[in-house]
Amino acid sequence: MRSRVVVTGLGIVSPIGIGISNFWKAALEGQSGVSAITSFDPIPLDGYRSKVAGQVRDFAIERFLNSPHGERVDRYAQFALVSTQEALADSGLQMAKENSHRVGIIVGAGMGGMVMAEREITQLYQQQKPHRVHPNFIPTITLNSASGILAMAYGAKGPNLTISTACSSSAHALGQALHCIREGRADVVITVGADASITPLVFAGFCSLRALSSKFNDQPGKASRPFDRSRDGFVMGEGAGTLILESAAHAKKRKAKVYAEIVGYAATSEAYHMVIPREDGIEVAHTMQLALTDAGMTPSQVDYINAHATSTAIGDAVEATAIRRLFKSRTDKIAVNATKSLIGHTLGAAGAIGGIASVLALHTGNIHPTANYDDPDPACPLAGLSLSAQERRVKVSLLNAFGFGSNNAAVVFKQATK
Amino acid sequence: MATDPTISLKIRTALGEYLKRDPDTILLTQHLRDDLGLDSMAVIELLYRIEEAFDLQIPDQDLTGLTNVGQVVHYVEKRLGKIESPAPVKKAAKQSKSKSKKKS
Repeated sequence: MRSRVVVTGLGIVSPIGIGISNFWKAALEGQSGVSAITSFDPIPLDGYRSKVAGQVRDFAIERFLNSPHGERVDRYAQFALVSTQEALADSGLQMAKENSHRVGIIVGAGMGGMVMAEREITQLYQQQKPHRVHPNFIPTITLNSASGILAMAYGAKGPNLTISTACSSSAHALGQALHCIREGRADVVITVGADASITPLVFAGFCSLRALSSKFNDQPGKASRPFDRSRDGFVMGEGAGTLILESAAHAKKRKAKVYAEIVGYAATSEAYHMVIPREDGIEVAHTMQLALTDAGMTPSQVDYINAHATSTAIGDAVEATAIRRLFKSRTDKIAVNATKSLIGHTLGAAGAIGGIASVLALHTGNIHPTANYDDPDPACPLAGLSLSAQERRVKVSLLNAFGFGSNNAAVVFKQATK
Repeated sequence: MATDPTISLKIRTALGEYLKRDPDTILLTQHLRDDLGLDSMAVIELLYRIEEAFDLQIPDQDLTGLTNVGQVVHYVEKRLGKIESPAPVKKAAKQSKSKSKKKS
């Protein structure tokens, strides 16, 4: 019999708060963490079409981390260390009492250590001094730098993996962690999503893709508006989320608090286009169905969907189409929200942060608002969206995450068994 | 061994910043790994800082002789032409740990 898997700890670094209580309070109030980018010094901001982002303000690793492990890693890995420190404390897991080979770490990261990457590349090309490339450049930009430093920080010697599938990275991290525990390869998997790449080059790249919002540069808090008729692109965000996943038996044995159970996961490819989803939503609907099948459930059981909903014209419409395609007439009974309306699109962290919002909805019965949902787009007919927080009894929730490269993921959570 | 106080201070200051300790507590006789706790990667980072501080390039083959603070100071003095003869540097019999321990 496969192991049941539960969520026993949460931690977050987000543009609307560092720490779960700060994040959740701001989320339920519908606060926006999107603000004006103040500088890409020395590059003039005028050259950027978009000038807003969901930024984690005033982050200094030494203020948040009780260990020296954050000193030589990039910003995204520092975020991961801080969110994981909180999640482990929240879970009550004591590594000294664990079999360290049974504790794994799976991180989802889309971009990785871009702060150092951009700095070193720029200096190399400007100064043409190869011997001045920092010795830590390679260890920092290697995409598993976060999963590596987390293992060292906590002595976790089990499976240590990094998944990089752009914006669906940490939804897959959740799914792979579920499989890992189900199959008995670990008792606990510290599951993380992290990205911090609001950097001059990456931001310019997304601007050039015409993927970012540019109509609301003077009203940053209005820029991320999933499913709203006037949405015009996503808003880049940054952050990290950590969920402690463990077998139900292991959690029970140590009398851990259980937030929710993670019960289903699907990973698919549309095999269609690098950045454009199929407009008919067939593959997205198929992905959600597969995740429910994996959970042993049917669409009729879903109460709440934490949508991928980046605030792009096509992406949101495709997701709404897919939801209607799968859930049919029941669609309008399902609560839906978009965490990116509050914090922007945190890329590789988005799945984990959406997962945290899902788990908290199951745990508390509160569903955070979808900010800026002022003028519902008829192309996205989802009656379960709301500008206000909703109180609902949520038994089953579905998390969607899609990534460049034609990549889809869906994860199913359910209320913890009393 | 007589050392140039300016160079010595600069190097001990760099070490102090790296190790977060008072440069005055760092002695020329101290071994970078055994006494100061620098692993092979940390030694490479330190030398990177020293290269910058003194506008030097330290070739790979010179790393093997740089195992204590005094050797680093004398090496820099030599490279900057502050002393006429190099400090006695014990030839390493085998490959430097700084090169051999990394995974690719």
